Amino acid sequence: MQAILSARHIRKSYGAFVALRDISLDIPRGERHALIGPNGAGKSTFIACVAGQLSGVEGQMLFKDENVTALPPAALARRGIGRTFQISRAFLQMTVLENMMAAHVIASGQWASLSRRIYAERSGQACAMLETVGLADRARDRVADLSLGDRKRLEFGMALVGEPDLLLLDEPTAGMSIKERHALMEMVAARVDAEGRTLIFVEHDIDVVMKIAQRVTVMVRGAVLAAGTPSEIKANDEVQAVYLGGGH
Amino acid sequence: MTDPRALWAAVARASVNWKLLLPLLAGIEAVNRFAPASTSTLLTEVAILALFAASLNLLMSFGHMVSFGHAAYFGLGAYGFTLAVVRAGLPPEAALVVGPLVAALGGLIFGALCVRLTEIYFAMLTLACAQITYTVLFQWYDVTGGDTGITGFMTPRLGLSEAGYASVALWTVALALLALWAIVKSPLGLMIRAVGQDRARAEALGLGARKVQLTAFVIASFFAGIAGTLYAVLHGAVFPDYAGLGLTLDALIMVVLGGLNSFAGGVWGAVIYQLLSSVVPKFIHEWELVLGFVLLAICLMMPRGFVGLLHRLGLNRKGDK
Repeated sequence: MQAILSARHIRKSYGAFVALRDISLDIPRGERHALIGPNGAGKSTFIACVAGQLSGVEGQMLFKDENVTALPPAALARRGIGRTFQISRAFLQMTVLENMMAAHVIASGQWASLSRRIYAERSGQACAMLETVGLADRARDRVADLSLGDRKRLEFGMALVGEPDLLLLDEPTAGMSIKERHALMEMVAARVDAEGRTLIFVEHDIDVVMKIAQRVTVMVRGAVLAAGTPSEIKANDEVQAVYLGGGH
Repeated sequence: MTDPRALWAAVARASVNWKLLLPLLAGIEAVNRFAPASTSTLLTEVAILALFAASLNLLMSFGHMVSFGHAAYFGLGAYGFTLAVVRAGLPPEAALVVGPLVAALGGLIFGALCVRLTEIYFAMLTLACAQITYTVLFQWYDVTGGDTGITGFMTPRLGLSEAGYASVALWTVALALLALWAIVKSPLGLMIRAVGQDRARAEALGLGARKVQLTAFVIASFFAGIAGTLYAVLHGAVFPDYAGLGLTLDALIMVVLGGLNSFAGGVWGAVIYQLLSSVVPKFIHEWELVLGFVLLAICLMMPRGFVGLLHRLGLNRKGDK
């Protein structure tokens, strides 16, 4: 299947510390792909590289066959890369609904508009997305008053508004209960599949990874240790020794 | 499910409370008409500085951009108007539109530099740009009159009485504040708030943060330019101090006094500051001492300023009116 994202020899260092060393991987269009590995493996750094949030990245990043290595985050978002952050980022002093509306205004390209017509036009869609992510009853609440899990859900909904071809979720279930994790990721998988999107997610809950991912890349100390289907990864002795600890 | 439009209206609260605003303006107008000339002049200054503080408040409260050089655009508005009269020979009535446009142009040029950096570095760049403006106004004798400014080029207040000009200023400022309010509640205003609250999130959604910040900077400069123009007309004179650090500090104090994160904060701050600076010196020579203690009390006990106090007393809905 054609790759929507191709990373070629990606390297990122902070002074003497090398966070990513020669990462090369292809993500086929429509795939649900998990990045796993111990803390400090470089998973979030890789996500940040794909989303254009880091400078000084060596190598080449191809998105839909276009070299996007040096593009800034906003340009990448407009090309179809949506993301959520490891530490949830939303507009904390706005209400949940205002956050969702902000995502709609940005997606519409009408950021400089002085007309409030777009609010009337998009409020239905904004409310529908809040229903989807289970936050309809929190629409009037300030985001600062939400739990971490609710903020993650809101971020996911906001990322979907731009209809991204590639969705990057950095630890989307952090701070959630086991039940919430599975519910959220099942909803994400269903939504991504139904809309034909590609998903790359960083996740520490191996049960969630095995259930949701179609392919898994294991990273250790800034390098790719192994890649394959969940069952292949589970059966990989090296992965068992370094990360899974033989418990799965 | 709740009707989305009704929900949005409830959440965004974009409407203006005309029932409160119109009687308030009519009341001020009545005071202006029946009070002595000195009161009309005080009202005019309060109105002008309220607009100036509100323009800075757009940057600070909504864009989270702290400017240490906002007086530059007040000064550019005042000098833009004056030079259009003195050097270009325009009638003062026609030159009124020049001042705000010069200020907006200054905002565009300096803003393009300033928004390249964030936080304290942004603030330092705004200060540097303002000092450049001040120095040019102070030193360029052939054009700006240098440190003595430009005086006597027109009849103050366009020949209107104190009360007449106070009416003009009051209604102009009211319209300008309504325009600022509409901007804050528009999609552009939402974007200014978004970039101010989390730049990385806004960019990850596809928003060019610098463009939004520059737009906010130019808008704030334009409205500061209106205030500067009105001030130049009030006195029929301009001085380099109109672009000086002192006026910027005054505006910063007004915004903090009135209350950050609230549209009304700048307006209330200007009212309180001007009243304090007019009344207190009659009783205490070192009135800045009183101001210092008031600021200490506000920062320590009421970080949301006067609007926060109104909100706490239940006199202000969500602190934004």
